[in-house]
Amino acid sequence: MNINMNMPGATTADSAPAAITPVQQSMARVYGTLIRRELWEHRSLWITPLIVAALMTLTAFPIHLGNLDPEANSAKFFTPENRLGWFTLMIWAQTLPQYLIMSIVASFYLMDCLYAERKDRSILFWKSLPVSDATTVLSKLLVGLVVLPLGVYLLAMVSGVLFQLIWSARVAAGSLPDVAIGWNTVAWLKVQGLMLFAVIVCILWFAPLAAILILVSAWVRKNVFLWTSLPPVIAIIVERIAFGTHHISRLLEYRTWGIWNALGVNPTPPEGVGHGRVVSLADLFDNVEMGKAFLNIDLWLGLAVAAALVFAAIRIRRYRDDT
Amino acid sequence: MSAVIEARGLKKSYGSTTAVDSVSFAIQPGRIVGLIGPNGAGKTSLFKAILGLTQFDGELRVLGRDPRSERNELMRDVCFIADVAVLPRWLRVSQALDFVAGVHPRFDRSRATDFLRKTDIKMTSRVRELSKGMITQLHLALILAIDARLLVLDEPTLGLDLLFRRQFYDTLLNDYFDKERTIVLTTHQVEEIENLLTDVIFINRGHVVLDTAVDAMAERFVQLTVTSENAARARQLGPFYEREVFGRVAMFFEGRSPAELAPLGELRAPSVADLFVAKMQGGGQA
Repeated sequence: MNINMNMPGATTADSAPAAITPVQQSMARVYGTLIRRELWEHRSLWITPLIVAALMTLTAFPIHLGNLDPEANSAKFFTPENRLGWFTLMIWAQTLPQYLIMSIVASFYLMDCLYAERKDRSILFWKSLPVSDATTVLSKLLVGLVVLPLGVYLLAMVSGVLFQLIWSARVAAGSLPDVAIGWNTVAWLKVQGLMLFAVIVCILWFAPLAAILILVSAWVRKNVFLWTSLPPVIAIIVERIAFGTHHISRLLEYRTWGIWNALGVNPTPPEGVGHGRVVSLADLFDNVEMGKAFLNIDLWLGLAVAAALVFAAIRIRRYRDDT
Repeated sequence: MSAVIEARGLKKSYGSTTAVDSVSFAIQPGRIVGLIGPNGAGKTSLFKAILGLTQFDGELRVLGRDPRSERNELMRDVCFIADVAVLPRWLRVSQALDFVAGVHPRFDRSRATDFLRKTDIKMTSRVRELSKGMITQLHLALILAIDARLLVLDEPTLGLDLLFRRQFYDTLLNDYFDKERTIVLTTHQVEEIENLLTDVIFINRGHVVLDTAVDAMAERFVQLTVTSENAARARQLGPFYEREVFGRVAMFFEGRSPAELAPLGELRAPSVADLFVAKMQGGGQA
């Protein structure tokens, strides 16, 4: 084994490093490096979405519609009027699982990101480098809350297009009935626009939940998962027993399922849906009042709470070591 | 040039336990300082204070900055190895280089790769695949490529075999150290590094017991080996520590002239290790 680490005949005078001219490290470069670091450590951040996107693309193969009997009840859904509805519904059905799985991946990531560096004691290595606690914590929050959703947005877009290509090829090959299904660029663009809007609103709406996870991650000494999940459950039960009220559970419900309300999506379907008409997501794009979502005071209140929680997480990491 | 590290009345308590008790010292640039003390003496607390990893009371300036409030600026000029095992196990060697290059303004990547080329470490290896000695080599490669003014090492060679330990210090001395840089280190293996050190600070129970340049040590301390017949006379001159070795007694004196002691027995300058034992067991403050 070659373990000789010294240059032969090296002396202090000639081998001491020449002063290095400091490279001006731009904020973008530092954040880029920190984000790559997270993807190295937490490989599930990109492997899981890739697998789910691939699976969703491949669902274009086994789907079988059979021979649509014109007399059968289901046949009346596959009419030219429903062409757009089916097209956008397929995109939706194929995208939703990707976001659902992503939210699970993101939650576990945020819970783990500041805890893992203490568990493996690497925190003292990271802290030996000139990266502030604020930059570190923000980069991790950015990965879980922004980079991951936007990455899944792009993946879903690509997998949706591939799905449509496979679908069209099957229709062309005759393995699917040539019913009212097909590509529509305008509708596709509208759905993508709607999705992007939804992703942005979700990021803002769920920011306080993400901030709670990262705070717990910075704070607890062990059992992150229990510390994240048990306190709200206990708080709900205690509140119910002690006061007979349901404020905490309502707040949690509002901050999770309340996203539909925040997006401005009307939960009651438009006229005619379910009676042989399939609603098009592209229509939804035309009808959602996007500006309204950003005027929601609760959205900004949540962000303010998120900022306070993240600030607390940064303060906690400041004097945390490997103990 | 002003001191690299200057502590005045530095104090660190954990609840009712005082780990560091009103310690004052100054470390000048271009020195290699050994911070030596038994387990629980307060070394680690002192390190953490210097590196801005813990809160403390009193005054402490590192490169003229307060590690509590100016840690971010400080870490551009300070490097440290806290422990051999702190490189994350999932990290690849190439990623380690990418990362430090991406965040450190004073990192010279080619220097690190040159160093690694002389080892058995592969760029594609993960830290978990490396031996403990190789992990230290990797960490050292990263540190040596950073143009820092102060390097702080806390037990950097703990758990390594003798070959790696020797190489570690040789490399540090040959490839890194110069007059502008300062190295502060702790280790339990005092014997191995005593030729390396320019200064020693002994610390015990949160107090600085001795703070001296190694050069000045020989003038201040004398080890006298006497036969048991002469022991009583020598004892009258007030050794601060003595121990018996093979029927003879080794006594340690501070501030006694060699002329006084020479007639009584054999004189020599104590080694850092011997002096350490004498100071720790003999007690008393310098």
